Amino acid sequence: MKALEISGINFSYNQPVDKSGIAGNEYALRDFSMSVESSQFHALLGPNGAGKTTLMRLITGQLRGYAGEINICGYKNINNEALNLIGYAPQPISVYTTLTAMENLRIFGVMAGLSDKLIKERSAEVLAETGLLSYAQKHVSTYSGGMLRRLNLAVALLHSPQLLLLDEPTVGVDPQSRHHIYELLKKMNTTGVAVVLCTHIMDEAQRLCSRVTLLDKGSVIFSGDMNEIDNLEKFFLERTGRGLRDEN
Amino acid sequence: MIFRKLKELIRKEILVLLRDRQTIPVLFIMPVALIFFLSLALQGVYADKFTGHQILLVLENATHAPKAVKLEEKISSSKLIQRVQRPDGYDNYMLFEYGKAQAVIFIPEGFDDGAKPVEVEFDPVLDAGYKVAVRSLITGLTAEVVMGIDDIETMASNFIVEKTKKNRNFPSPLQQSVPGWSIFAMFFIAIPMSIGFLREKNAGTLQRLFTYPVSASLVILGKLIPYYLVNLVQFVLMLIVGVYIMPHVINLPFNMGEHPWYLIPITVVVAAASTGFGVLVASLARTPEQASTIAATGAVLMGVFGGIMVPYVVMPLVMKKLAMISPMYWAHQAYLDVFLRDASFGFILPKIIILTLFALGCFYIAGRKVRWM
Repeated sequence: MKALEISGINFSYNQPVDKSGIAGNEYALRDFSMSVESSQFHALLGPNGAGKTTLMRLITGQLRGYAGEINICGYKNINNEALNLIGYAPQPISVYTTLTAMENLRIFGVMAGLSDKLIKERSAEVLAETGLLSYAQKHVSTYSGGMLRRLNLAVALLHSPQLLLLDEPTVGVDPQSRHHIYELLKKMNTTGVAVVLCTHIMDEAQRLCSRVTLLDKGSVIFSGDMNEIDNLEKFFLERTGRGLRDEN
Repeated sequence: MIFRKLKELIRKEILVLLRDRQTIPVLFIMPVALIFFLSLALQGVYADKFTGHQILLVLENATHAPKAVKLEEKISSSKLIQRVQRPDGYDNYMLFEYGKAQAVIFIPEGFDDGAKPVEVEFDPVLDAGYKVAVRSLITGLTAEVVMGIDDIETMASNFIVEKTKKNRNFPSPLQQSVPGWSIFAMFFIAIPMSIGFLREKNAGTLQRLFTYPVSASLVILGKLIPYYLVNLVQFVLMLIVGVYIMPHVINLPFNMGEHPWYLIPITVVVAAASTGFGVLVASLARTPEQASTIAATGAVLMGVFGGIMVPYVVMPLVMKKLAMISPMYWAHQAYLDVFLRDASFGFILPKIIILTLFALGCFYIAGRKVRWM
């Protein structure tokens, strides 16, 4: 079963894209397609400004007005069933810093429609998995960078999603926290959860992922098995060029 | 399920609000301090002029003619003035400069014959109201003496009768300050509200909420309701301070008027207008710093124009006309209708409608301008 199926997506920030996909010249995503099987660890790679975060925002319903189709585990996006199957850890650490970890998890648990009992149980589980259980009642503002990243991930895992979207989940963390996060993601993946990983750490992507989609300027420039690629960083630079990419 | 999500969003917002150490002082302590200190300050403006503060007056009589003596006696016995002696070596300039006197009256030789008039000189910085009052007193008393009338007020009462209810159209310092600074503080909610919205947007938590099955309208309500409730609590607390605490501090009663229940619909729309202002600022600003500046400047300007900072009753006509552009003016006047004028609901209703329209206008513009991402 496909955890994620995207076909023919066209999206522009400047003007709405109609069914025929005709918009101005500035596409954020153009005729974009990809699919992720259940239990698959899928790398979504591309230089800055390639459209990775835009794609994540489209999948999670934050951005609308696109042409094409997005299906989550057979549910056509955007609807509540589909959204409840997604766990999203955005690149910015998106938690309430004046609240405790438990209070944060409660808010997002209620938004996901979990019962109070389930929120308590799952909060304890995900905090234990991310190594934060002993800090559960501490204000998040007192957390280190690595702890914040792990809490960001814990929020995404709380409602036991079938599709995990991770936008640079290890940026700015120490090797210990990064290792912890890798192990957790591998464990999640073995339980049938599909993982889409956006990262600039090529070594990380090559070690964890079995499939790769390479994206540049809003379009897919490569899609295939990771084992087809010998050196991912070299491959990435060959395909996307060595010139600097500065986002504007 | 929707109600549970809304309840959780409200709970979250209140927790975030309460844990922001700067919010509580801005929203609650600032207006109490303003009510306290500005009531004391305004006591001078109102009470001095209208409840019998005495002007320090040097009265010099250069003649012992009967009319001059009579005038000197009449002026000396007036409750409006306190007669003081000119210190040795002090000219009029020094009297005023060193605060020894605020006015000097000189009755010259030849006054009885009508050859020379009474001379009056005021401290140049003396409030215009005092000058008018003293000048009117001297004019009346001089007319009595010259025309041989015992009491010109009694004679005039046959022609002029004042029907104004005592102290019912002019706010006491408390009646000015309590609703005024309460409204001001209520509009200051725009600062934490807009900053909170932008911080949440910049942190990405707002966007993260939208990755769950939660509608934008629910998220907006979850942000609005806590601030709306804070507004209501602010007003109730300020009213309690005004009614039960301040009268003991500045020894002036706080009159709630004959229809205190009208405060409920007024406060409901004032809170809507102030939260609407907050939403508008949040939608227009791009950074918390911008939001803070726009909200504070907007609230202060509305306060200046609306008769909060400078009492409406002492404004010149042009400013009185300009005051009507400020929602704070309508809010303040609606409260004064209740506290001072015992107005009927029909009299207050247009002000309620204007405030409602202001709130709706803010929400509409904010809805068009807001950028969630």
